[in-house]
Amino acid sequence: MAELTEFIWIMAKIVAILVPLILAVAYLTYAERRVIGAIQARNGPNRVGPMGLFQPFADVFKLLFKEVVIPSNANRFLFLIAPMLSLMPALAAWAVMPFSDGLVLSDINAGLLYILAMTSLGVYGVIIAGWASNSKYAMLGAMRSAAQIVSYEIAMGFALVGVLMAAGSMNLSGIVNAQAGPIWNWFWLPLLPLFVVYWISGVAETNRAPFDVAEGESEIVAGFHVEYSGTAFALFFLAEYANMILIAALAVIMFMGGWYSPFHGLPVLGPMFDWVPGIVWFVLKMTIFLYLYLAFRATFPRYRYDQIMRLGWKVLIPVTVVWLVVLALMILAGLGPWFN
Amino acid sequence: MIELSDYLVLGAILFALGMAGIFLNRKNAIVLLMSIELILLAVNFNFIGFSTFMGDLAGQVFVFFILTVAAAESAIGLAIMVTLFRNRGTINVGDLDSMKG
Amino acid sequence: MIEQLIFYVFALVLLFSATMVITVRNPVHAALFLVLAFFNSAVLWVMAGAEFLGIVLVLVYVGAVMVLFLFVVMMLDLNLSQLREGFMKHFYIGVPFAVVMAVQMLLVVGSGLFAPETLPEARMPIPEDVGNTALLGSVLYTVYVYPFELAAVILLVAIIAAIMLTLRRREGTRHQDPGKQVRVRKADRLRVVNIPSARRQSEQE
Repeated sequence: MAELTEFIWIMAKIVAILVPLILAVAYLTYAERRVIGAIQARNGPNRVGPMGLFQPFADVFKLLFKEVVIPSNANRFLFLIAPMLSLMPALAAWAVMPFSDGLVLSDINAGLLYILAMTSLGVYGVIIAGWASNSKYAMLGAMRSAAQIVSYEIAMGFALVGVLMAAGSMNLSGIVNAQAGPIWNWFWLPLLPLFVVYWISGVAETNRAPFDVAEGESEIVAGFHVEYSGTAFALFFLAEYANMILIAALAVIMFMGGWYSPFHGLPVLGPMFDWVPGIVWFVLKMTIFLYLYLAFRATFPRYRYDQIMRLGWKVLIPVTVVWLVVLALMILAGLGPWFN
Repeated sequence: MIELSDYLVLGAILFALGMAGIFLNRKNAIVLLMSIELILLAVNFNFIGFSTFMGDLAGQVFVFFILTVAAAESAIGLAIMVTLFRNRGTINVGDLDSMKG
Repeated sequence: MIEQLIFYVFALVLLFSATMVITVRNPVHAALFLVLAFFNSAVLWVMAGAEFLGIVLVLVYVGAVMVLFLFVVMMLDLNLSQLREGFMKHFYIGVPFAVVMAVQMLLVVGSGLFAPETLPEARMPIPEDVGNTALLGSVLYTVYVYPFELAAVILLVAIIAAIMLTLRRREGTRHQDPGKQVRVRKADRLRVVNIPSARRQSEQE
């Protein structure tokens, strides 16, 4: 009996994480269209509901009622399982995410490793979708994006190695607690190069502009999901935006002090903002990073594929390796206020 | 309770499957590489099982090294496979009968 | 009880996918089944308390090595029927051989040689209160530091070997050199030519 209630309790927690997450995905698509609209001096969606606020639901219902077309000679099973494979890791990674002090579903010690493992699984959805579609455009897009994801994972992993060196812990709550203090105590300052590398590889990892050659509309129509329609397409869409939110949340936890307020521990300002719950700061910081995603898409031209590969292998990875050595020296020297 | 013998039996069957894979797919070099991966996985199972039930960390360290070497092995193996295919147009092991490159 | 059930479910899926790896017709399917096998093994390792190795198996094997396998299998234009020939012929040799081998190993396991009370004393005992990852790290960088460095060198050699084997300079491709592009000066590219402007025919005469 006790086991059963515990099981139900865990299920309730999972639902409490997933439902807001999926709502956030829905409104991220809305925000994307509004923000890019504003940057390009037009309105964006404004017809469905007040200020177009119900637009995401209209889109979802449209996609749900459409037919999932399966190409001839496609591998039916793999074709249908690929969207699920790309969504699953994006959602599973949230299991170890600390939203506020103690507010975490599973507080495991190897949390950072678990997140890395889960994000490295996302590439299978792409590869299988491209192969099972039995279409050359899908195959080319899948190959491009899989190679890109795998390459940038290395730079990202190195950047996160720096974080775990600085924090001395792989537990995500431990990493946040190692940054306790005002804004200059957070890891973005001593790890600035790693932070930049992490963010660039995060954008590349999610196949977003300016690194979206995998689905470059003008070159290979839409990359690996060109053959997908209806609900299956919606799942890919959901996975892409869930991954964006995940990368933004990780950036907040690793480099931006997680749930701490930027005035934490300051003499006057600190107590003034004490009443704000940690999760509010967490979400606020995440919103900034998500806005950056949208602003990048609206302002940067697309990279060429060989340029992407060169940036990943010949620029970002050497930068991280050099900075890991510098970081080790900083830790040895006990540089304050981070490492003393 | 899960016993040590559970892990050992699993490892033994996995090893036999890997061996059978080498026999069955004698022509296909890529599946041969995969069979070798299966065999190494079976060995790792034994190490992990003993490590857990003896309470000895050395087994896990050994698995760590096996993983490293196996990753290097499959990377080089696949590179050879690609070069082979480029030069000969096949990865059929039966066709690779000349000593000259 | 529940733990045992989970173990058997994952072990059965592992054995099933291993069987499919060696029997399935299409190498792409074989690679995908191998991914499934690795994933199930990772779960079983985490259950056995080796959480670091379990996660690393997913990270390194599922996330990198198998992606490499899939890339190679998908890019090579394989002649399937040619690769499959001899499958049935070897079936009657290979399967009995494997069965005999498995039976022999199972007999050894079942002989009580590995009963819990006969196991020797642990030479490197696992303390209760330290996390698995921290524990492995503390051993790898002290007791096993030379093998660790050696493993790093092996990986380096593998990187160099794989790149050298597959690197191919194609004739006729034009690569751009960013350094060269940046160093370009106006004088290298632009030539101002003084051409006398055309005149009407009547004026020329």
